[in-house]
Amino acid sequence: MDTVAPPWSQTVGDEGRWPLGADPLDTAPMISPELFEIERKRVFGRVWLKVGRVHEIPTPGDYKVKRLDVARTSAILVRGKDGAIRAFHNICPHRGNKVIPEDGNETFGRARANVLSCRFHGWVFNTDGPIRAIPREANFGAIDKACLGLRPIHCDIWEGFIFVCLDETPRQTLTEYLGEIGTHFAGYPYGEATTSFRYSSVLNCNWRVALYAFTEGYHVPTIHAGTFPSLATLEQTSFRLFGPHSTSTLYVPPVEGVKPTPATAAFGGVLRSSDLHGPHLDKLPAEINPTRRSDFQFEFPTFFPNFLLHLGAGNGYPGIAFFTHQFWPLSYNRTLWEGTNYFRPPRNLAERVAIAHINALHRNGWSEDTSTMENSQEALESGVLPQMVLMDEELMIRNTHVNLQCCMDTP
Amino acid sequence: MGTLPKGFDHLSDLLPEWAFATENARSEKRWASTPRQFQVFYDAMMPELDRILALLAKYQAQGAPEDVANLFRLTMAFAEAAPHTEMYANSNSVPNSFDARRVVAAHGERAE
Repeated sequence: MDTVAPPWSQTVGDEGRWPLGADPLDTAPMISPELFEIERKRVFGRVWLKVGRVHEIPTPGDYKVKRLDVARTSAILVRGKDGAIRAFHNICPHRGNKVIPEDGNETFGRARANVLSCRFHGWVFNTDGPIRAIPREANFGAIDKACLGLRPIHCDIWEGFIFVCLDETPRQTLTEYLGEIGTHFAGYPYGEATTSFRYSSVLNCNWRVALYAFTEGYHVPTIHAGTFPSLATLEQTSFRLFGPHSTSTLYVPPVEGVKPTPATAAFGGVLRSSDLHGPHLDKLPAEINPTRRSDFQFEFPTFFPNFLLHLGAGNGYPGIAFFTHQFWPLSYNRTLWEGTNYFRPPRNLAERVAIAHINALHRNGWSEDTSTMENSQEALESGVLPQMVLMDEELMIRNTHVNLQCCMDTP
Repeated sequence: MGTLPKGFDHLSDLLPEWAFATENARSEKRWASTPRQFQVFYDAMMPELDRILALLAKYQAQGAPEDVANLFRLTMAFAEAAPHTEMYANSNSVPNSFDARRVVAAHGERAE
């Protein structure tokens, strides 16, 4: 595939903070329907977007339909008879019905006998795309069946995460697109953490308002004073910019006298003392927490544009291997937020309840995070704040913002 | 009323009120609970928690006998209710938070 270097690879420096400058950022993209339309097409229509994990569709025939409202489509992710995962638009090439009816943002199912069939007129497709059977085919006259397979979407996999690119001709392969952040995060046994708890909500705010709130540690001592008072000493450091992507590391130096509450100490203790769920800092990729500090909380990145992969290695929140956030624009001021915690599968009932406790604590913390977003959107829509200033630890916001603008300025 | 393993009989009064099979049902219960209900639950469960966890550790993640499954469901409820007592002053919501009813758990109806 021919690749064209995207604009960001030439413009945004990798040298750290100051190459990005210190100017205030325009808030217009968060409140403008017109700018959102440009962003929708020039960012979300072109980049690689994470849409799933391979363990969600483990055996041939398994599929997941993921709504991609930002591109006005849905993607069928299906594992073929050959074991490969492919992506198709969920549309019948006959008259446009959805091949698989959807029951929400994510729909799971199984293709019997490795075929998908449209219930409108009974067209049948192989799970690798080609049309297999058209009822009363002779009555169509001359049709070119080679053109009547499921419409493919570019699909690739990195570390078990399924990505799609909606551009007809992607400007980069997934490996090229991820670049150094792909190697920075590579090698952790993500595939072992198959017990997941996914939460979602539609937030009445621009997707950037939600994303930005989850990509800085500055808010932690204030917003999370209720659920995570122990995080008051949070240290966000080791910033790295990888083109449009970025990362940093969160450590929490212990504070004398601050201990977990009794229930959290008991439940967390089950996981901390477990050979399976306990901290496994040795399994972190070499560049993440390189000195293996024991007060490591998690690696805290932004995978451009809308995916956060917080890698904890069983440390910090006891037992959580990693957790993810994703922010899907629905309109200029509505966003589907998804947050998912990943644990290694519990072996006994004590581990199950312990995981439930940590998962609940974390879920509750997210409800503190999401509490500011709709207020921020309403206030921003007043137009009173055309620009916003950022402090050092809000660097990843700046990197995302600058690179989004870069994409939006590219015809 | 369900039964609990030997040595935990004194907690069986809590079963009808707290032991549910799904996260959604447990959430509904938490959102409807009074400060007193949280405190009574906490005061009954917390002193027994180490003993409960030791027992539950002996059973595989699936397929436990009914009395153990009851204790498991009760402890699942406690796993989610305890923060309300320990951190939220027995409030049925997280202080200064987004409306929990607007958050959808993909696994919320899955029986555990």
